[in-house]
Amino acid sequence: MQARGVRTVSFYGLTWAMPMVLWQLVFFVFPLCFLLALTFWLVRNYRMVPGFDTVNWVKMYSRGYFWDAFGFTFTMALLSTAVTSILAFPCACALAFRTSPAVRRWAMFFLIIPFFTSYLVRAYSWQIFLGDTGVINGLLSAVGVGPWPMLNTRFGTLIGYLTLSLPLVVVLQLFSLASVDRNLVEAAWNLGCGRLKAVFVVIVPLAKVGLIIAATFCFILSFGDFVSPYYLGGSKPPTLSILIVDTTKSGQQWPRAAVVAVTMIATLFAVAFTAVALAYRRRA
Amino acid sequence: MSAERATAWFLRGYVVVVFAFVFAPIAASFVFSFNSDRFPTLPLGHFTLHWYETIFNDPDVWEAFANSAIVSACTAVIATFIGFCTAYTDYRFRFFGKSAYLGLALLPPTIPLVIMGLAMLALLSRIGMSGRLDSIIVAHVVLCSPFAMAVIRLRLAQMDPSLEAAAWNLGASEWQAMGAVILPFTAPAIVAALCLTAAVSFDEFAVAWFVSGLNKTVPVIILEILQGNVDPQINAIGSIVFITSMTLVVVAQILIMTKAPRRA
Amino acid sequence: MPEPGHEPLVVFEGVTRRFGDTVAVERMDLAIGEGEFVAIMGSSGCGKTTTLRMLAGLERPSEGEIRIEGRRVNELSPAERDTPMVWQTLALFPFLDVRRNVEFGLRMRGIPAPARREKAMAWLDRMEIAELADRDVAQLSGGQRQRVALARALVTEPRILLLDEPMSALDANLVVRMQAVLARLQRDLGITFVYVTHSQSEAFAMADRVVIMSRGVVEQIGTPQQVYRSPANRFVAEFVGANNIISGIVTDYREGVVTAETALGMLRATVTGDVARTPGGGITFVVGADRIALSGQPAGAGNEVRLALISEEFIGSVVTLHFEASDGSPFRAQKQQRELDTLALEVGATMWASWPAEDVHVLPGE
Repeated sequence: MQARGVRTVSFYGLTWAMPMVLWQLVFFVFPLCFLLALTFWLVRNYRMVPGFDTVNWVKMYSRGYFWDAFGFTFTMALLSTAVTSILAFPCACALAFRTSPAVRRWAMFFLIIPFFTSYLVRAYSWQIFLGDTGVINGLLSAVGVGPWPMLNTRFGTLIGYLTLSLPLVVVLQLFSLASVDRNLVEAAWNLGCGRLKAVFVVIVPLAKVGLIIAATFCFILSFGDFVSPYYLGGSKPPTLSILIVDTTKSGQQWPRAAVVAVTMIATLFAVAFTAVALAYRRRA
Repeated sequence: MSAERATAWFLRGYVVVVFAFVFAPIAASFVFSFNSDRFPTLPLGHFTLHWYETIFNDPDVWEAFANSAIVSACTAVIATFIGFCTAYTDYRFRFFGKSAYLGLALLPPTIPLVIMGLAMLALLSRIGMSGRLDSIIVAHVVLCSPFAMAVIRLRLAQMDPSLEAAAWNLGASEWQAMGAVILPFTAPAIVAALCLTAAVSFDEFAVAWFVSGLNKTVPVIILEILQGNVDPQINAIGSIVFITSMTLVVVAQILIMTKAPRRA
Repeated sequence: MPEPGHEPLVVFEGVTRRFGDTVAVERMDLAIGEGEFVAIMGSSGCGKTTTLRMLAGLERPSEGEIRIEGRRVNELSPAERDTPMVWQTLALFPFLDVRRNVEFGLRMRGIPAPARREKAMAWLDRMEIAELADRDVAQLSGGQRQRVALARALVTEPRILLLDEPMSALDANLVVRMQAVLARLQRDLGITFVYVTHSQSEAFAMADRVVIMSRGVVEQIGTPQQVYRSPANRFVAEFVGANNIISGIVTDYREGVVTAETALGMLRATVTGDVARTPGGGITFVVGADRIALSGQPAGAGNEVRLALISEEFIGSVVTLHFEASDGSPFRAQKQQRELDTLALEVGATMWASWPAEDVHVLPGE
């Protein structure tokens, strides 16, 4: 513990620093390490036995359905990231550049509420709208079209992902757009750049880091979510998280679930690392 | 000019649509919790409190709410304490490995909840601790303390950095300065962190579902009802959950938004 | 000065700009000619920047008309005009290197890459910073950034360049060098510069004409000499700074000379135009600080006041002496250093200042 330049380890400093370290090591790092170890354990007679065997990895990685699930999850998460980022951007732009600071604060206020409010119930409530006899199809049939199946489709899954991440992505984009120097935007107009063009030529490059961070969070949330693909997407095909839930809940094949989990974490790390590299990449 | 005006109106409308999308499920849940029809269709049936009566008379729901209350209260207190310690450490000290320290503090929300649930379940069942309320609390503290840390750190950033030193200069020990300067200054953020972490814990379903066993919390009950047939009880429970967590989040935000007194 | 008969390059006609209830610019009439260097001056909030921004299309006039090259531009968006600006913050794009910053305007006009590159390099060369072409703008010094901003604005060869306090971030000796660069550039290019500043020295050093604004209103338009010697009103006289302003009541007018009773005693001034000089009316005398003669003893001539020295201020070889007059009001005189050798300059010393009646500029009213 170094207090403002004084190189001393004080009891006082350690008192404040240690609670988090101890808690996270014991209840966060250690369980994840245990999860990694678990992938090498064996299941005999429906009981887990400590060991070191790659059989779980080999079994999972040689199954077609695992790779199908991986491909589907990754693609859906990417799609969700693209759709969410694109849908959020005009909203964040409008709030950042066309509203007073007071309105912006209120918008932020109302976007933060749902982010911390039961995602499970919010996702489920979409069934009210999306079902074959739900609100939307009810309205559609009143004008003589439909019904269009929306529940238990990829569209349903996507709506769920949007429910999960749209408020957060708008808030994060808004943060980075609000710090864009208005002067630079005006300078671009002044040099002959039209308003819409300036969005892509000046605003996006200036807000790049924030936009990529927002997109990364969206990917992380969508990639790991099991509620939307399960309750709105009908689990057809299953995603990696559904695979984990099913495998864990239906027996003692936890080591295999752990293989899926570790694969997911590795994937997320790779994606996050790539995103950060992209965000801070220097000009060519 | 007219193109410019059209853009302005389009954007205004777009923002409204986005907010409508965000709040539609919450509003729908409220509306349909008072609707007599078993299946959610238009036009609505008549107004009823039937679904609220059903859950009101269900001892399982009562127990779940009691469990959730215990879990979120304990989680809030512990997570806020840890979050405060971490925020203060970050504010006050510079030391080797600080970025690793902060990484450890802020990483948990990036790990999918399903994976956290599996990891906790695997470990806790190994040491015979699964299926208890304290196992849920332990896991929730991991998930919630980064939020508490962020809220309190934000508040500390608004503090005049010389205030603490001024207290030392006037003869206060480090502990006295903590009690006389830092704690009073961060008090609103501490309460905000308590509310926010309580809300996060109250709504968390994945980890709770994995490790709860028979001691179910409210979201776990919801999850289990969802796996059965369509049941408008969900809307009633959901509405109560919404009101609870929205109240907590609103209180937290109002406390965060109250500005620190300007430097005299 | 715009030539009569022709429509000048830029015309403001009754231009008003309101922001809610506040009026930033009020009924402005201004004509700027081809190749002119015009400085718009005033303290902050006087409307000078709003004027410039209206010219660039970044603000729209609430009333009135702005014409450039005879064409009404009120409704034109910034991108549709060729009125590049050098910004107070310089507003260089941090995500582009120096050359791409300079190329920006050409890129927006769809000039092919090789052509715009060539042109950008030519301008960087002209600004003597060609070797910085591949640098990040963050790596440049203040003066270098200034040159990049100039090159970026001029690369499209506009007929008019707008400058919004471009030197406020530079240190003093760099300001003098950049003034020389700007003045030469404007002469060589023969284009119009509209330069907004709060600094009198910058404006007077470079501008052909200065526009002095206060609270949204144009107080005076004229050459630096006119503004300095013949301020149109008390505000301008005070703003120009190097003046002593003395108010009084007219007691006598005879043969072109007006006499007034002031707090500093009876003072006289030669009046030319038709300034009100009825005895009993108010009048204000403006005396340039550089027109003051100082002496250790009273000479007994007219226009002489007794002063107490408060402080001296050296700027190069020019000394500004700050005095307190007998009524407690401030008074100042500017002298060459060598002119002061014969005087005993001690703080608190009593001295007498005098000036010829012909050197007094007269304003009506008190």
